[in-house]
Amino acid sequence: MDDPSKPQQMSARATAPGGGLSVLANLIWLAQAWVIATVLADLLSGTAPQVWLSALSFLGLGVLRALLNLRAQAALSHAAEAEIHRWRLDIAATEAATADVSRFGGAGSLAALATEKLEAQRAFLLRYKPARMRVMVVPLLILAITAWHSWAAAVVLLAAGPLIPVFMALVGWAAKDASAQQMVEIGSLNDLLADRLAALADLKLIGAGPQVIDGFAMASDTLRHKTMAVLRIAFLSSTVLELFSALGVAMIAVWVGFALLGEIGWGTWGSPLTPFAGIYLLLLAPDFFQPLRDLAAAWHDKSAAAAVKEDMASWQDEARPKMLGAGAASPAMAFESLVLSGAKVEHADQTLRFPDLEIRPGDSLAIQGPSGVGKTTLLRVIAGLERPSHGAVLVNGVPLSDTQADAWRASLGWMPQTPRFLGRSLRHNIGFGAPLDKSILHRARVSHVLDTLPLNDLTQLGESGAGLSGGEARRVMLARALHRNPSVLLADEPTADLDAETAQDIIDGLLAYVADGGTLITTTHDPRLIDQMHRVMTLEPRA
Amino acid sequence: MRSLFKIMHILLAGETRAFAQGMALSLTVLIMGVALLALSGWFITAAAAAGMIGLGTLFNVFAPSAMVRFLALGRTAARYGERLTTHDATLRALSNLRVRLLGGVLTSPYRRIERLRASVFLNRVTSDVDALDGLALRLVLPGAAGLAVICLSALAVAVLVSPVIGGVIVLGHAIGPTLVFFWGQHRADAPSRKAQAGMQSLRSRVIDLITARDELIAFGQIPMAQKSVTKAAQFQSESQAEVERIKRNTGFLLDLMGWTVVAMSLGIGASLAQAGDITAAQAAIAIFAALALSEAVAPVRRALSEIGKMRSAAKRISPLIGDHSEPGTTSAMSVCDGPLVLNTVTAARAGAATPLFAPVDLTLASGETIALTGRSGCGKSTLLLIAAGQIAPLGGDARFGGEDVFRIDPDQRANLIAMVPQRHALVAGTIAENLRLAAPEAMDDALWAALEAMQLAKTIHAKGGLDARLGFRGTGLSGGEGRRLVLARAVLCKPKLLLLDEPTEGLDAPIAKRVLEGLRTALPGAAILMAAHRPEEVAFADRIVKLQPVRQVH
Repeated sequence: MDDPSKPQQMSARATAPGGGLSVLANLIWLAQAWVIATVLADLLSGTAPQVWLSALSFLGLGVLRALLNLRAQAALSHAAEAEIHRWRLDIAATEAATADVSRFGGAGSLAALATEKLEAQRAFLLRYKPARMRVMVVPLLILAITAWHSWAAAVVLLAAGPLIPVFMALVGWAAKDASAQQMVEIGSLNDLLADRLAALADLKLIGAGPQVIDGFAMASDTLRHKTMAVLRIAFLSSTVLELFSALGVAMIAVWVGFALLGEIGWGTWGSPLTPFAGIYLLLLAPDFFQPLRDLAAAWHDKSAAAAVKEDMASWQDEARPKMLGAGAASPAMAFESLVLSGAKVEHADQTLRFPDLEIRPGDSLAIQGPSGVGKTTLLRVIAGLERPSHGAVLVNGVPLSDTQADAWRASLGWMPQTPRFLGRSLRHNIGFGAPLDKSILHRARVSHVLDTLPLNDLTQLGESGAGLSGGEARRVMLARALHRNPSVLLADEPTADLDAETAQDIIDGLLAYVADGGTLITTTHDPRLIDQMHRVMTLEPRA
Repeated sequence: MRSLFKIMHILLAGETRAFAQGMALSLTVLIMGVALLALSGWFITAAAAAGMIGLGTLFNVFAPSAMVRFLALGRTAARYGERLTTHDATLRALSNLRVRLLGGVLTSPYRRIERLRASVFLNRVTSDVDALDGLALRLVLPGAAGLAVICLSALAVAVLVSPVIGGVIVLGHAIGPTLVFFWGQHRADAPSRKAQAGMQSLRSRVIDLITARDELIAFGQIPMAQKSVTKAAQFQSESQAEVERIKRNTGFLLDLMGWTVVAMSLGIGASLAQAGDITAAQAAIAIFAALALSEAVAPVRRALSEIGKMRSAAKRISPLIGDHSEPGTTSAMSVCDGPLVLNTVTAARAGAATPLFAPVDLTLASGETIALTGRSGCGKSTLLLIAAGQIAPLGGDARFGGEDVFRIDPDQRANLIAMVPQRHALVAGTIAENLRLAAPEAMDDALWAALEAMQLAKTIHAKGGLDARLGFRGTGLSGGEGRRLVLARAVLCKPKLLLLDEPTEGLDAPIAKRVLEGLRTALPGAAILMAAHRPEEVAFADRIVKLQPVRQVH
């Protein structure tokens, strides 16, 4: 495991050993080509080469090269794995320490970042990085060796090599961001598919299925035409690369052939070209271009990785409020009093001021007011889910701080307006691992709900809530809040959007809790609930 | 593997011509590449031989050098053509796959389609389809073209140089790598599945940590949630490392095989040349061809890293595509109008056997409206789906026009019965496109009339008329506006039986009343069955049927 406190290593340093090995593996070709050229030259001159010894040494060099490649890949793969893992731990740690959602996007986009998007880093480190290192070393060395034997061949390489990036840049400029464009198009085809799939169940009910499919087929056809128009230009850039490398090799082959025939007398440093040198040059020429081709093939990995890095940076750079306490399990504190004095919360678009407030054990308080006035925020401030920018929340006379936030929350029951479940069993969603208390399930009226579920309390919940209706989900949340025997229960609009009977169930459950000596703070519009509370507070919108 | 073949069949079936073209061009590219290097090697060696014995001037240089240039240029042109045709074919195939997928999902049972709505499933389906996109472009085409070129080149080498070297090339470049490919993908199967499972749980745990953050903090569960994310990441990382290790090892084996082929070609070729059986230039052909063919083997590596993902994606996607026959349509019956009769119908949640409500009997005539009431979760929506013929009742039956709704021909049923569920499903596109999903032939006037009936005409005018665009999932409209647009769409269906699930949820009381009246005016003869919990809805109905919890009849 990585030590999370260790400073983030630059991927450049982590990939240096692997990249170096990969360069070394590539350079072995210089020796391998030398063996082949020697054997062929010896055959030509009739100097009886040690054929099988040469073949064996060629194979030996090949094995060495394969081993070096293996080590290089292993080193790069470990570096990539470590980097990806570190980012993931970082996401988990950061998200577990902040109090608010990121502006980066919903949970879905951050989850996508932590999963498949970060994988782009692997291709980048495994393919692009070593290809880049090879481009810096291998062509230069081959150029030097070629120049040693023949200036004419070197001129061919020199002309073709540097021209490639120039032409590619030109074509690339014409097809601006073509490959990115293609990704976007395919991405939007997927968005379209997800859009239609999500609506399909309901569209089937009005018999619109065939129209949906026709429409989708047409849309994807249009998309194909657009994409192909872009690709026609985009592929030109790689074609330029192919053209120059093929022409480079062909020109060297032709020049070498003519020189060996004695038809051409120029191009060497005085002495005529030897067969060995000619064959050697031909063997090296394709490898002059190969790193460039590898780099071009890995170019997409680079832009994908850069986009992910940008995402990570924008997520990381966002200043987000730190969570109060650690959000950890803790022994509950004995509740004596809750005082709110001069509390003010600043949100991006407005400042919310809350009236002073004192709550004693056994109180029940209804908070009402128009929507947007900050009722939910007030409950969040009381629960220590949000820090007030001014003023204080005093619990048992002590300002709520990191040290007792967890103990304070351990004595609270929390019932949000929107049901949110973990993708685990219903049992875990109510008791968080504690065995379920039958009497509390009964008090929250969820026993009957459990009976209708396929696996009772072991039914898996998730985004779809295993088909629980809104009212049933609300009852499950009441059960969860009551299950820890809280001293204070915070309930946010517990009866909103419910039918009369379910609302009455919830109200009965809340009142039974108050009758047992519990303290209840609830935001509500519901007169049936307001009437039963000891105290009512109205939040007024600011003028 | 069978699912993978099925998907491959779908991908290739419709676009045989395009893929054949791509295949021909791939072959040309590879053959020209091998020929370029082999010919150059032969040319140089032969030229050197001729030059040495002073026959340089007699050597025909122009044919080979022209050929070298032709191959260099031709290969480049073929490569461009190949990339264009294969990408075009792939884009076509990929659209086919998605269309087939939509078609398959459409004919699958309602509960299964409903599950797809969850974004976890949507994410998975789209990423699976993405993984399968590469099947043709990265697996089938290069694999087939590579194998063909290796065998052809081996044949050429066998004829031009030596059958032994031809054999070595087939063995080391074609048969060996194929075996290594199957061995490698077999070895990587289990860890690759583990890695994917790890990825899925990592995703859902990160989502849990973020969406349920308030609850996790309030209930002191943050460290647990963080730990479970960390554990999933660790598991994923370890399994992925194992996959990578297997990939590296198979790559190493392929490397060894490649170098062995070249070394053998060198040894055998040079020995034969030394013995005088062939010329040095012929030996050069063999050596250079063996070297050039490693390019044809390269796709095997690429395929190895993707085959695991493709296999499991195919396994999940192919049941969704299914075959295009809806269960229960064999004895399709024909009816033309109501009434709707429910006989002692009971229902249960998906996968459960406990009835949700006591048996229901009702008769709903044309032009009549019934409100279904009962507490939240008592099964009102389920009963509507039964009446729509989408899910089977636990007991009893639902009949429309005297026929079991399940046995009515699906096309006819779609014309007779329309249902508007609680969540409103709109898609990306214009207002008109969304409305015409129900009535493709409808004129603009008809669309405006339906919008008018749903009190929405003014709003749509303000938004830019029928051509105003909605975003994905119909974003751009408020909840109440979306609701009314969906109701307008149902009006355009002109159904004989309209099933509504809490139709005025989220609408102000006066608008709700006018919308309901608008529905009745637009569809005077329709039987309307409505799950209702608002007073406006209940008041609008001619009769009320209350669903009783099952425990009260015990």
